[in-house]
Amino acid sequence: MSTASTPPQTAKPKIQRSTRWNRVWVVPIVALLLGAWLVYKNFASHGEMARVRFQTADGLAAGKTEVRCRSVRVGLVKKIQLAEDLQSVLVFIEFDPNESRLLRRGSRFWVVRPRLSPTEISGVGTLITGAYIEMDPGPENAERHTLFRGRETPPATSRNVDGLRLQLTSREAGSIIINSPVFYRGFEVGRIEDRKLSEDGNEVRFSAFIEQDYAKLVTENTRFWNVSGLQVSAGAGGIKLRTPSVQAIVSGGVSFGTPPPLKPSTPVANGTSFHLFDDEEAAEQSTFNPSFRFLLLFDQSVRGLDVGAPVEFRGLTVGRVSEVSINLIAESEDPRIPVMIEIDPSMMRSSIAQELGKPDSEFLQNAAKRGLRAALKTANLITGSMYVDLDYYPNLPQADVGTFAEFTTLPTTTAGLVHLEGKLTALLDKLQAVPLDTIVADLSAAAAEAKTTLASSRGALAEIEDAAASARRALDNPELNQLPADLRTTLDELRKSLTSVGPEGPVQGDLLRTLEELRASLRSLKGLTTTIDEKPNSLLFGRDSSGNPTPKAPRSSR
Amino acid sequence: MSGCHPKAALKGLAGCHTCGKVSPVTLGRCPRCGSHLHLRKPNSIHRTVAFMAAAAALYIPSHILPVMTMVELGTVERHTIIGGMMYFWESGAYPIAIVIFTASILIPFLKIGALAWLCAAATGHTHRKPERLGKLFWFTELLGRWSMIDIFVVGIMVSLVQVGNYMTVTPGPGALAFAGVVILTMFSAMSFEPRLLWDQLDGQSVPEETDCPHETI
Repeated sequence: MSTASTPPQTAKPKIQRSTRWNRVWVVPIVALLLGAWLVYKNFASHGEMARVRFQTADGLAAGKTEVRCRSVRVGLVKKIQLAEDLQSVLVFIEFDPNESRLLRRGSRFWVVRPRLSPTEISGVGTLITGAYIEMDPGPENAERHTLFRGRETPPATSRNVDGLRLQLTSREAGSIIINSPVFYRGFEVGRIEDRKLSEDGNEVRFSAFIEQDYAKLVTENTRFWNVSGLQVSAGAGGIKLRTPSVQAIVSGGVSFGTPPPLKPSTPVANGTSFHLFDDEEAAEQSTFNPSFRFLLLFDQSVRGLDVGAPVEFRGLTVGRVSEVSINLIAESEDPRIPVMIEIDPSMMRSSIAQELGKPDSEFLQNAAKRGLRAALKTANLITGSMYVDLDYYPNLPQADVGTFAEFTTLPTTTAGLVHLEGKLTALLDKLQAVPLDTIVADLSAAAAEAKTTLASSRGALAEIEDAAASARRALDNPELNQLPADLRTTLDELRKSLTSVGPEGPVQGDLLRTLEELRASLRSLKGLTTTIDEKPNSLLFGRDSSGNPTPKAPRSSR
Repeated sequence: MSGCHPKAALKGLAGCHTCGKVSPVTLGRCPRCGSHLHLRKPNSIHRTVAFMAAAAALYIPSHILPVMTMVELGTVERHTIIGGMMYFWESGAYPIAIVIFTASILIPFLKIGALAWLCAAATGHTHRKPERLGKLFWFTELLGRWSMIDIFVVGIMVSLVQVGNYMTVTPGPGALAFAGVVILTMFSAMSFEPRLLWDQLDGQSVPEETDCPHETI
């Protein structure tokens, strides 16, 4: 405070000042904390790194490409580098600090780019914003994992979506692609999520996803079949044309159902494997359960008989042709064609089915004795396809059920067109046997005879002509010509006599008068009868005046 | 500036910080404008050093953190000051790169360094060359404010470039730190009392009345 203080005096407060707390030091402390916090927030709080292996880093940029889960940003691509083998790229993804729980085994990564597929157009937004990596986290309780293999195509459905996931195996992929719909009675209930070739390359495996609401429709008896594209088939049943929905034509599709003989049973679990049939028919036939096999030996062409052709008993399908091959009886010299048929006992009466099941069944023997024969018949005249028909032919010579190699054979016969063909041939053969030469010779002799007959008949004709001429002469006689005139005079007279009787005739006038008189006398007679009726005694006492009061004139005036 | 000239402080006269009127410091307050009267700025070295330290603490984050976040068509880009300078340098815009380097990197750094040097000189830890120190202080005050260019640029960009999804600019944490650096260095320079330098030169300390607790700010 003093203006003239000495240096030692000033030294003291300096010491005090240095030891004393000055409020201004709050500023650097706050600045330091602020700076540290900013740096920490930006760097130290960084999340976990994950590595994802992709085929190509097309569209990805380090430091720019985002990683999203359900379109929510969860991380950023930090670095992209080639893998050691130069076959793929490693993408280093830094996850946001509180999103590292997404790093689970089974998480799927794929790059969202613009995609154009028959079923949909997706990722259009990335045309402008650039590609980003989408992820689908693995199962909730999976262990932590930081190295992943990225997918090249996006999965059809998220793993988190509840539903039934099935395996379908098929011989051919057909036009079924990822995202193809799965139909149930034409209603879309799921999708194909994935398809790949099996390890041995013998079949194609599809991963199908059925929505949770429809999962119970898939049971152990369910059959899956391909409904892709147009199907045109010409078989024993005629020509069939199947057209699925337009969507299925374009993108392929799978349908499922329970074919009629089967009943829906217990629903299946996740991951169950099903066979994918080529078409609905194949799926239906898959319910066929052949129990009995018989060998048929046909002494005719089997052209038009396909494997799978029906075996019918009087029109009812009881089985199908399982094999047509000469190899069935390779050792034999028999020229007949062997056809193997399968019979499903569920398609016939149970009693018969049981009978058939016995090793040496009396039933078949009896049936064969009664004329049971297998015959090839034409099912379709246009396609020429054939089927096997079982029927009784009582008129045929007796035949027995036999055995050939290890097979039981049923007797066969020819029928249908082939039968007709045989009949025609026989007829033609008979025609050929007719002695045409002698017939022709007989015919010429008969013709000569006919000529002489004609000559004699000509003489008879001349006689008839003469008779006709004499008849004309008779007609030319003048007496005959006069006859009409006589007839006319007779008629005139007749008319005259009739006129006298007619209304203008004298007879008529007399009659009228007579009738007049008769009427008058009848009238008087009527009066008489009336009088007698009223007063019968008038006949004796004469007619009296009537009872009616008659006015009397005064006597005096008279 | 030799010691032959008598110093006003030794006579108990102080110039008002606000209006410049010279009055005896014993008055306590300026008779004209009523401000507090000090012979020297109170706690000058303390304040300068404190602000300088704060600026130095923020200097590092201001350069490693992004100043500006630019969202362009869905892609997010974060720009730091050094990154921007490198970008201009690599693309051949050398003058701009040099300006950025000078205004944003060099000047704050030099300013902190210069204030540290001046503080050291004012407390008698370095040699005495008052002419150079005076020039140094003058430059420090003159150039310091131009460091705000970066903040101006960010502020203008943020307010102008808001085109929805197509392009959006938001300030990053680095901008906050950098603004802090610039403002704190300015405070630091303002807090510095250059007369302490001359006091040191003359070898006679001005009586420190500033240690009165009631007069510190």
